[in-house]
Amino acid sequence: MGVPDASGDLSSEMEVDAFRRLFPLRYFERHLSESVRPDARPLGRARDTTLALGAVASAHGSALAKIGSTTMLAAIKMEVMTPSTESPDEGCIAIDFHMPPICSPIVRPGRPAEAAPVISKQLSDTISSSGMINLKELSLVSGKAAWIAYLDIYCLDADGALFDAALLSAVAAFSHLQIPIVSLNDDGKIVVILEEDDGTKLEKEPVNREKRKLTLSSIPFSLTCILHKNYILADPTAEEESIMETLVTVGLDSSSRLVSFYKPGGPVLAYTSAVQDCVALTRQRVKELQEILDEAISGMEID
Amino acid sequence: MASKGAAPSTYTPTPTKKTRPPIFSDSDVDWLRPDGRGFHQCRPAFFRTGAVNSAAGSAYAEFGNTKVIVSVFGPRESKKAMMYSDVGRLNCNVSYTTFATPVRGQGSDNKEFSSMLHKALEGAIMLETFPKTTVDVFALVLESGGSDLPVVISCASLALADAGIMMYDLVAGVSVSCLGRNLIIDPILEEETFQDGSLIITCMPSRYEVTQLTISGEWSTAKLNEAMELCLDACSKLAKIMRSCLKEAASASQD
Amino acid sequence: MVGLSLGEKHFIQGGIDQNIRSDGRKRDTYRPISVETGVIPQANGSARIRIGATEVIASVKAELGRPDALQPDQGKVAIFVDCSPVAEPMFEGRGGEELSTELSVVLQHCLLGGKSGAGAGIDLSSLIVAEGKICWDLYIDGLVISSDGNLLDALGAAIKAALSNTGIPRVQVAAGALGDEQPEVDISDEEFLQFDTSGVPVIVTLTKVGRHYIVDATSEEESQMSSAVSVSINRKGHICGLSKRGSAGLDPSVISDMISVARHISEQLINKLDSEISAAEAGEDEM
Repeated sequence: MGVPDASGDLSSEMEVDAFRRLFPLRYFERHLSESVRPDARPLGRARDTTLALGAVASAHGSALAKIGSTTMLAAIKMEVMTPSTESPDEGCIAIDFHMPPICSPIVRPGRPAEAAPVISKQLSDTISSSGMINLKELSLVSGKAAWIAYLDIYCLDADGALFDAALLSAVAAFSHLQIPIVSLNDDGKIVVILEEDDGTKLEKEPVNREKRKLTLSSIPFSLTCILHKNYILADPTAEEESIMETLVTVGLDSSSRLVSFYKPGGPVLAYTSAVQDCVALTRQRVKELQEILDEAISGMEID
Repeated sequence: MASKGAAPSTYTPTPTKKTRPPIFSDSDVDWLRPDGRGFHQCRPAFFRTGAVNSAAGSAYAEFGNTKVIVSVFGPRESKKAMMYSDVGRLNCNVSYTTFATPVRGQGSDNKEFSSMLHKALEGAIMLETFPKTTVDVFALVLESGGSDLPVVISCASLALADAGIMMYDLVAGVSVSCLGRNLIIDPILEEETFQDGSLIITCMPSRYEVTQLTISGEWSTAKLNEAMELCLDACSKLAKIMRSCLKEAASASQD
Repeated sequence: MVGLSLGEKHFIQGGIDQNIRSDGRKRDTYRPISVETGVIPQANGSARIRIGATEVIASVKAELGRPDALQPDQGKVAIFVDCSPVAEPMFEGRGGEELSTELSVVLQHCLLGGKSGAGAGIDLSSLIVAEGKICWDLYIDGLVISSDGNLLDALGAAIKAALSNTGIPRVQVAAGALGDEQPEVDISDEEFLQFDTSGVPVIVTLTKVGRHYIVDATSEEESQMSSAVSVSINRKGHICGLSKRGSAGLDPSVISDMISVARHISEQLINKLDSEISAAEAGEDEM
């Protein structure tokens, strides 16, 4: 590498923090040669992950996901739309990923982060191609009214592996989603039936009594890895992402089928073996994430 | 599929009966607040510092359904276009999540809030301690449950303290709504919608100084004085809670 | 921005301490106010106010609209202010935008009352044509043409004068519209209704320089302020809005004192403005 050999000599005398700032790559490589990362993780391990459902009361479904310090808040609001003529009995999902200025020093108001639209697109591609949601379930009155699920994901703290955390919060928000009971009024508009009224007097027959939860088949999860020389680092922090630039994101669904694969450039070429290793790491990670999600859901049901 | 292009016009379904809830009338003093509080009782306040790791300082505040996060960045280099200044600059921004309000994407008065936040804080910060640089205070309202601005202001002053920015005192903000003849403190969203007048005070309680005062609606002198006293009293109580939050964070980091 | 030398600053501050300001006024004296109404023929009402070298125009446009679902018995009023770069080079671009928003927000607070519409300067229920269906939407636009301090008071006065000058066409509602249908209306070209503007408050800004506060500060004086309080007060002496500017904090007792001083001054200002407005209206009729 281009780092002068002098750094090697200096390192013995220099303070650790100064060395980390001046020769970040050297600093990391010395850790990697010992098979450990600066935060004491082994190379293949992801950070602690937590999930909380129902964080936002004003939304129909919401979840807060934390991977290490990376924090994502996802919330779904259901609105009614007129379905398109090509697919009269299908609803729609609109996914937006936001990086507000609070999440990172590099984002400022009026200057949106470059990463946000990219992750937005990746999320909608992954979720729609995984077939997790059957859009027919979002239909209300064929050809007349269907749900559009606005999923907004806010990054509250950006510390690497944004896509993984965003996807986790998104699928968790969908599992928490509770669709309101609605009926069709005389003007052809959809109106909400208040729960208190339930049973006593219903002016109109609800159109979706049986469809308050979505059936989620094959939930996608993902893991981002850094490829650096021969090392593979799972679930990188923001610092690691800024120093070593080759990222690979693998998305698998709960039955380990490949849903998405991203390798947006970077100086390191991914050989077949490296890709296979990434997929293997992701497979393990998906099991962990599935457990975390199941635990969060069962925690909600007890309440 | 998940398309945003050519988005059809959508709407939020609302309950069938849309009437103004009969929550008050001029003579009705026994009316109960929707969340069962007394008229002069604030919601329980919860604060936590250090909510965002990548910021220099941050705080999370939760008052009932009002939830906000404030991050502070800096002091850092001012924008290139800025002229030289021998005192520091304060830059404030308040934004809403799209799901913060009952109807999606309605948190729109944030432009006004940004300048109000700036006015409430600038008097408390020792700007001369960071010449030539800028401190950025960014707030995100995760959920709007009423009294958003005072909560944002209190939370922001805590985030500034967490970032180690020098201040004369913490800034606590409280608002009062006037509904008919009643004064109610710390109103929720529903009460704010029907208020006849509102008063927001932000103050530095230890110095007993008001940094910002905004009044709207018609007020007689007696009522105005009553409302101001109510707010100032609540501010000093709120500041105690904020102070203890900072102390807790400090003692936790020492361990 | 006003660039002042140290000597000039001392002169201004010293003058205020001695109760004789640079232009010879006392602390509680306004500069001469002149009012001209009907300056924009296309608008429903308009007025130009000059206070010293500060000059602003306000116009009122009325359009038929639908009332808010939450307030079916009230019309809507919107206030916007534009700071023309003609008045001051720094108004160009973002500087003017920020000031414009700030002024608009303060005026909305001061003149429009609470969210329920109570305490508004204009009786919002008088704007209703057919309850829940049709109402008048008033668009009030303020334009700053020349700026020499005290913009808020000038804009407040201009809006008051413009509203007195406003005539709203009489509207006939065709009977027989049922349910959610929008009834047909017939707008008269000849008959105009006037507003009751006696309840419209005036705005008095007290600027604190040193230990004293002054009314109607010029730009030079404003550059020396530590804080300023703008109070909007109606004829009954009730506070209709208040906002504070400037970075320095204020003791609550000082604020109470400033409010009572502002109330005292507002009485004179209201009388002065009313006579100027009626003189301007009379002058316009003669022309």
